[in-house]
Amino acid sequence: MLTKNRTVFTELGTEAIEKGLADPQLSAFYESMMSSSGLVSEKLREHMPYLSLCSDKLEGIGPPPIFYVGRRSSQRHLFGEDWAMQQGQELRTPDPDLEEASAAAYRAALEERPYYGYARTAIHMEDKVVDIAFERLIIALRPSPKSDRRFCAYFGVIQDLQQL
Amino acid sequence: MQTPPFIISEIHVPNQLKPRADNVVKLKAEVDKHNLTDMWDMILMLDYQVANVHELSSETREEFCCIIALLLKAFTK
Repeated sequence: MLTKNRTVFTELGTEAIEKGLADPQLSAFYESMMSSSGLVSEKLREHMPYLSLCSDKLEGIGPPPIFYVGRRSSQRHLFGEDWAMQQGQELRTPDPDLEEASAAAYRAALEERPYYGYARTAIHMEDKVVDIAFERLIIALRPSPKSDRRFCAYFGVIQDLQQL
Repeated sequence: MQTPPFIISEIHVPNQLKPRADNVVKLKAEVDKHNLTDMWDMILMLDYQVANVHELSSETREEFCCIIALLLKAFTK
């Protein structure tokens, strides 16, 4: 049982992945991307269903807007199909507090190195509040060697989820 | 009495759900204009496993267009 009203966002560092402490699928994604030096290759294909992708645009207090939500990704599982396919405005997670708390990890991934961390928090959605614990890996990738664009790939693994 | 064969082309799809060719063309032009062509190609190749958007079915092309619309918003707004 999670401790209510206790929010934690902490970086564990990719060393924890290398020591075998992370989720196996997340670890496979990390190793695959490291072996291709952060460049998109065919190796990314098998991981696409589990990823959310967002831009490299860091403005204000939130993380970059999302443009792709994998069919089996943790964000689609958490926020639902309608959220994942919504149109009309930039796609962002529905809780402003979550947006603000998660932004630093994207900044670290874009400016320094891949971010691997653990989080536990309450998320406020339109019709419910959930307590969630998850690990997350964020890696900045380049779609091709010549591209001046980068994007963030987010691999989240929900460890515990309880509706309040 | 024998059941008639099931013909996919006879399924009614509301007009608002049909991907319009001009929508795809406009999106591609915007993507090229904003230097996001690599991203377009990446999503097509890795997720949909085709090289050209016209190889997608109507329904899948519509889904792809939704992703591209979000891509443009995420990088350009």
